[in-house]
Amino acid sequence: MDREDLEVNHQELLFFAICFTVMALLLFVRLFKGPSVADRAVVIDSIDILTDMALILFALYSGRSVFLDIALITALLGFVGSTLVARYLEGGL
Amino acid sequence: MRIFVDVLVVISIFFAFAGVVGILRMPDAFCRMQSSTNISTLGVVGVILGGILYAIFILQDAAMAIKLLIIGIFYIVTTPIAGHAIARGAYRHGVRPEKEMKVDKYGEDLVEK
Repeated sequence: MDREDLEVNHQELLFFAICFTVMALLLFVRLFKGPSVADRAVVIDSIDILTDMALILFALYSGRSVFLDIALITALLGFVGSTLVARYLEGGL
Repeated sequence: MRIFVDVLVVISIFFAFAGVVGILRMPDAFCRMQSSTNISTLGVVGVILGGILYAIFILQDAAMAIKLLIIGIFYIVTTPIAGHAIARGAYRHGVRPEKEMKVDKYGEDLVEK
């Protein structure tokens, strides 16, 4: 079902998605400034989650479920990546 | 119904913004980890609940609702695991809080081993 088939108009979902994207861009400050590796791992995880939320809202706005599949894969890769970085920091990789 | 969706998403945006401000302003690494949890629990739950309501009542698409439910359950299950792993990895890597700790049981355990 595409957006044009619906008679309702939901511009605010797009606005909320832009809010999440702006917050994810704000986190890049900490990514470049962060003193230790753990800070950068945490920030990467948070950026991943925020872009995931923006993807979900855009999927609801456009009415296409392809973006939800992309969001699920992004969530999986974020979890695997942060756990891998944690294992590496621990020294047991 | 769209008022419920909007209120849920706005609550979620508020908590996510609080988490972002905490990550930018907190003094040391462990405080920043605690603040990032704010994003990944309350920031996710509002969007997921609002999205499920939107997919059921406005889009009338059951597949999207079930996918959203799967994403939400996945986040709720895996976020504490990743947070715990990163905190332990950071401690073993040598990251310490800014103030000196008075009780450090995990460090004592590491020394005994």
